[in-house]
Amino acid sequence: MKTTINKMVNILATAALLLILLYSCGCGQKLPENRPSGIKPVRLLNQDSSIINFPDAFKGKTLLLSFIYTNCPDICPMTTHNMQLIQEQLKKENIDYVRLAEMSFDPARDTPHILKEFGDIRDIDYKNFTFLTGNSQDIKNILDSMNILALPGDTTKTESGNIVYFFTHTDRITLIDKEGKIRNEYRGSKTNIQQIINDIKTLGD
Amino acid sequence: MVLFLSLLALLNSFSPKVKIENAWVRPAARGMNSALYFNLDNVTTKADALYKVTSKSAEVVQLHSTVKNNDGTMGMKEIKQIAIPAKSVVKFEPGGYHVMLINLKRSLRPHSKIEFTFYFKSAGKVKVKAIVKKE
Ligand SMILES: [Cu+2]
Repeated sequence: MKTTINKMVNILATAALLLILLYSCGCGQKLPENRPSGIKPVRLLNQDSSIINFPDAFKGKTLLLSFIYTNCPDICPMTTHNMQLIQEQLKKENIDYVRLAEMSFDPARDTPHILKEFGDIRDIDYKNFTFLTGNSQDIKNILDSMNILALPGDTTKTESGNIVYFFTHTDRITLIDKEGKIRNEYRGSKTNIQQIINDIKTLGD
Repeated sequence: MVLFLSLLALLNSFSPKVKIENAWVRPAARGMNSALYFNLDNVTTKADALYKVTSKSAEVVQLHSTVKNNDGTMGMKEIKQIAIPAKSVVKFEPGGYHVMLINLKRSLRPHSKIEFTFYFKSAGKVKVKAIVKKE
């Protein structure tokens, strides 16, 4: 009788151990999304005015893509800062299969030069981080296929004749795998960086 | 009379006012926009309100609040003034209240400083130096 109980305890303990192992190694984890991005290939520009074939230039790499406009004072700089923190964490952990990109939904004002200034003043390390802008229609198509809303608000003019307007916009960072599929979406400005890092690790090299 | 007035001024400078703490600004290039954040600590027993901020480093300075819409999108709206109840702290922080700096007249590099004048209903005019930092 006693040996039967002992055997049962042993079996249960082994099963529990297996379950713990399964969860901790991440093999059992599934990311919530697995859908094509629907993006048609286009030519975009980075902060140096170099042509980036999007999304093909990122095929074979995990891509973390966020959406911003540089005239945004509050939300978008938070997103950019989070992207920078993620970049630093990836570097610390020697994860080299990830590319980070921030796409402007305000291409009319966010020229490559403006994007470069926006990045430079924040000491962006462009090694695996790029800004993207382009033709308004191309950008609009990408935003539509990725469900990103960006609506310009009322325009005002300052005394010096400067035109001022802000966007109401989706606050997002999207995780795209090396096959170009959307695997998860996060808030950009207030986000759980560790969760993004974990998701990236789950995808693996 | 002069003595009386200067004594009054001296007394006034010692009387408790709303304290402005941890003022900081995001880095931004000349011609772009930025935001100023801080804590307002009303140590007094009287409510006050912040209704204006000015700076020589920006063409337009406004009080703003970031708002989240029902569809999840984010936007901002201008606000006329912000009440600071007695014995309370009001935070201007990322994703919430901020002082919006439009069309900067100079680049704000990390670690540099920028000066502001705050206008309170009761406490009057207060000069504040903010530090530029990435956060
Ligand atoms: Cu604002």
